[in-house]
Amino acid sequence: MDDLLNDFLAETAEILAEAGGALVAWEADPADRAGLDAIFRLVHTIKGSSGFLSLPRVTALSHAAEDALDQVRRGNRAADAALVTAVLAIVDRLSSLCAALGNSGKEPQGDDSDVIGALVAVDQGPAAPAVPAEPVAALTDEDINAELQSWRSIRVPLPLLDSVMTGVTDIVLARNEFARLLRESGADASVIASFDRLSDSIAGMRQSVSQMRMQRIDKLFSPLPRIVRDLAQDFGKKVRFSTSGGEVELDREMMENIRDPLIHIVRNAIDHGIEPLDERVAAGKGIHASIDVSARQSGNQIEIVVRDDGRGLSPDALVAKAISARVIGAAEAKTLTPREKLELIFRPGFSTAAKITAISGRGVGMDIVKANLEKIGGVVELRNEEGRGLTIVLRVPMTLTIISGLMVRASGQYFAIPRGSVREILLETSDSVRIDRVGGGELATVRGEQFPLLRLEHVLGCTVDDSEDQDDRAIILVRPGQGHSYALSVAAIHDHEELVIKPAAPMIMATGLYAGTTLPDNGRPVLLLDVQGLLAAAGVDASEAGRIHDASAEAAAEAAAARDAAQLLLFREAGGRTRGVRLSVIERVEEVPASALFESAGAVKAQIGTEIFPVHAAMVPAGPEAVKLLRLHDGQSVLCYPIAAVIDIVRLPDAVQLASAPGLIAGVVLIGGEPVELIDPFWLMAQYGTGQAAPLLRQPLCRLSDDADGWATNFLAPILRGAGYRVVSGDETADGERPDVQLCLVDEQSAPVAADVPLVRLRSSVAATGPDDDSIYRYDRGALLEALRTRVAGAGS
Amino acid sequence: MMEKLYLIARIADTRVALRSRAINSVVTVGTPVHVPAAPPHVAGLFALRSRVFTLIDPHVVIGLPPTAVAPGQRVIVVDVADHGYALLADAIEDVCFIDAPETRVTGRLLPGWARVADAMIEHEGASLLVVDPSHFITLPVARAA
Repeated sequence: MDDLLNDFLAETAEILAEAGGALVAWEADPADRAGLDAIFRLVHTIKGSSGFLSLPRVTALSHAAEDALDQVRRGNRAADAALVTAVLAIVDRLSSLCAALGNSGKEPQGDDSDVIGALVAVDQGPAAPAVPAEPVAALTDEDINAELQSWRSIRVPLPLLDSVMTGVTDIVLARNEFARLLRESGADASVIASFDRLSDSIAGMRQSVSQMRMQRIDKLFSPLPRIVRDLAQDFGKKVRFSTSGGEVELDREMMENIRDPLIHIVRNAIDHGIEPLDERVAAGKGIHASIDVSARQSGNQIEIVVRDDGRGLSPDALVAKAISARVIGAAEAKTLTPREKLELIFRPGFSTAAKITAISGRGVGMDIVKANLEKIGGVVELRNEEGRGLTIVLRVPMTLTIISGLMVRASGQYFAIPRGSVREILLETSDSVRIDRVGGGELATVRGEQFPLLRLEHVLGCTVDDSEDQDDRAIILVRPGQGHSYALSVAAIHDHEELVIKPAAPMIMATGLYAGTTLPDNGRPVLLLDVQGLLAAAGVDASEAGRIHDASAEAAAEAAAARDAAQLLLFREAGGRTRGVRLSVIERVEEVPASALFESAGAVKAQIGTEIFPVHAAMVPAGPEAVKLLRLHDGQSVLCYPIAAVIDIVRLPDAVQLASAPGLIAGVVLIGGEPVELIDPFWLMAQYGTGQAAPLLRQPLCRLSDDADGWATNFLAPILRGAGYRVVSGDETADGERPDVQLCLVDEQSAPVAADVPLVRLRSSVAATGPDDDSIYRYDRGALLEALRTRVAGAGS
Repeated sequence: MMEKLYLIARIADTRVALRSRAINSVVTVGTPVHVPAAPPHVAGLFALRSRVFTLIDPHVVIGLPPTAVAPGQRVIVVDVADHGYALLADAIEDVCFIDAPETRVTGRLLPGWARVADAMIEHEGASLLVVDPSHFITLPVARAA
């Protein structure tokens, strides 16, 4: 029972956090049905599980909220701020009940009639809904349960997850040891084969276990809208809140560590950052302030940016406060740089508010925020525009997250580089690289673009291993951030691996050269290089600005050359004949088993993946083996052209002997002294044009009235959909959208017909009943589609 | 009883007692992975049960020249602030209960030892320094600067 209760509490806490945010979003846009449905579903879930655990107060509260929301869904009630506030009050009461439940294990005694009453009192308000929601068929319990299935999950304690992760990594290490022993003992091929299979499944398992720890950062953002709404109301400020980048994934444990700092920063923004309304007006700003929280992945870090358009920080005011709060002395204040003045807010004992408010002054200051972030290897950065707003950037490493890393060697040792910041890898001996020594520094010029060159051994303070083969030395073009790039020279490139990154010990992180440690498959720890830190350690300006050189000119020349030189793909056909086709019309060369080709309606088709494409062939080619197909692509449709083999890619000669009549062969060219027939993709595509309806900006909605025997659904609807219509039948509605045209069968006059929608009537008999009969024989496809087209066009004009 | 359990080891050429609750385990290491540009007392990294540990050379912390790590050398594994470290030990002697009370450090110690020693304890007719392994993790500020 305790386990059940714990699961319920954990789930409910999550739901309540989500519901708060969803309610606020819905309040801003009451017409958003999906938002309303989501909230309804959340409350419904709580009601369901609380009933099962016999928690009468929780059940009553969630029932009241569910009821009120259902009224809105049915259009009997308006969605207004009062209602949202009342529902939020219930959400709060549920939260405090759950907290009490967690402490005592019992539902405390108490009376909830105040919050439930508030909800009912709101109900007595104006009867006419402010936003008339269209009444629709409500979701039944079955529907909701069916929807629940799609996001079913189970809860697993984090330590268990960790132990699984450790276990799997141990298995990997043991496997590697075992693999080495197997190799040395010269084991049987069959033993090695079955060991390889084991190996593969272990690798797969490791991958899944690592993914188990990842969570979308959405989870972190979901309670924020609610916090913003409540605070803004308390302060009488108007705030537009938005989040983006919710799809970025972050390790669960990391998420826990950022939650409080993030909430604190958002609170601060509303309390201190955003000015009161009159001040905003005086400053010429809009009454609505905006706060924007966004997340993005940048290399091996996650960047969370909180931006407000408030008053920003005033360095001088900060200094004055710091002196009066005795954080710094007046003498020290004089020596501060502008940046250091801003960073006073991170000093312990500093608070920017003139008075400590109930909201921001909870004993948590920016010093705690900074300390918490540093504990997990993160940094806080301030971007201040005095008078115009403050942006706080939280950068946290993706510890314990999987990154794709490039393994490189320097002075006999392996290091990892995050693959995401690698732009290009070249051999130092490559023709496209030129290395110059300029005034003691080194410069790599790659295809006309110059990069400062760092040698990894020098940056790390190691000696270059002379026994290394100089021909292996490689240059990695690294772009640690936007607008910066450099060339990193390493002794050799090894391979790339999926790596689990963990933070290194603080004194190793403090070198600024490493972003963490990882344990690759060979069981020897490897240091992950901090590509930004290397740059800082080398003290090189890697800004891309001003070193474009003649790159743009070269690019233009290259493009011009490419324009002039159309390329030709030479291939051999099954008959042995050599033909060619312009490379640019080929999407790719596909190799499919012969069984993927089949004949249908007199034409040969190929099934590739889940799609079916026409094939230019008179018959399904005989022969059991695989077939190579050229995929010709005209931007919209695909045609497959079977070939025996690809021969070469050559430059298309300027002289083409054109064919006299249009056909498969556009002409003949001489390639290496041999005549080659040139395929005409224009003609080919015309032969196999799928005759698709012109793409419509909006697909018209077609309603099938009354369809008792299912004829319309089974026979008619597929034709209509193929012709580019969306089809609804009977009482279904597509989000309350008005149909553009409706179809009904003449013989079934009982069908409900909307008066203001153009109507096409269908009859079962071939012949019309009289001259006035405008109905259409139901199997006359051409007439039917034409009638629909004219009706829809008529309605639109 | 755990409070009375001590690990007697030879660290940086000196016999010391370490409180057993501060210690995770004692293991042997192979060749550690060198960490370029790290502080001098970091002797490298090694992996143990899929965790990466930072190897600390106590000699450097005490102010002695660094020693090379011999393959199969025993190390004392400790956890400090959620990170795993291992102290290179010259020798591991014993794990034993010492009933005698810990006493204040008397006499003048070398500055290196004074920083890491918490107390002294009497064991089998000899006075041992009781050291806190976490003090070995950080270098004295003056040296690090």
